[in-house]
Amino acid sequence: MLTLTVLYDARCDLCCRIRAWLQSQPKYVELAFLPAGTDAARRRFPHLNHQATLTELTLVSSRGEVYRGAKAWLMCLWALREYRAWSLRLASPELMPLARRLIARVSSQRFKLGHYRWLLRRET
Amino acid sequence: MNPIVLTYIVYLIISIALTIWVAQTLFKNGRIFLIDVFHGNDALADSVNHLLVVGFYLINFGYISLALKLGYQVADTREAIEALSSKIGVVLLVLGGMHFGNLYIFSRMRRRAVLPDAPPPVTPDGCTFVREG
Repeated sequence: MLTLTVLYDARCDLCCRIRAWLQSQPKYVELAFLPAGTDAARRRFPHLNHQATLTELTLVSSRGEVYRGAKAWLMCLWALREYRAWSLRLASPELMPLARRLIARVSSQRFKLGHYRWLLRRET
Repeated sequence: MNPIVLTYIVYLIISIALTIWVAQTLFKNGRIFLIDVFHGNDALADSVNHLLVVGFYLINFGYISLALKLGYQVADTREAIEALSSKIGVVLLVLGGMHFGNLYIFSRMRRRAVLPDAPPPVTPDGCTFVREG
């Protein structure tokens, strides 16, 4: 069984909210979550550059494949039943540059965006 | 017989025959699509196919019946053929539109059906060792 481990930035509010949202969605592929840069993450992936995982979202499959940044986001969408079609669409050569830019923008502003609580309300 | 009544009768015969032909084409060829979409479940595919064709018949016969009335008199054969031609032309366009609508529904259903087996959309950036546990 393929499992995708998401190394997310636990210091950022937005990332934690997105994590909760991802956890609540129905999935095709199991998603596991580990806070980036922690001992648990270092133990699990001893050869990974953990400093880099704190600046961009990193996803590692149970087979050891590493996805970073926009690719990691698309893999998260690919795991979800409702959004797999979107991940395939966004990965097309026409839309991938746009997706990459948008994700880079959101990533760099993530601490600021976390203040807008209405943006991603935690689902209960 | 009154030429306009004759025109109506010819119009009905041609339109109904065309509708039956298009519906049968859809019924025969759509089945293969639907069996694939429903992962080989023949009974479900046949049921959905039948429901789609019934809808197709209802909309088309409804349109044909609404569009029957000709707002003017036809004096001779030439005018009758012209009137018939424009009526049948619109019926053909409606049938064509409905047919492509159905094809779109089929392709959408198929696209959704292949999603669970779709490979990852992007290639990995690299590989790393994963410690079990």
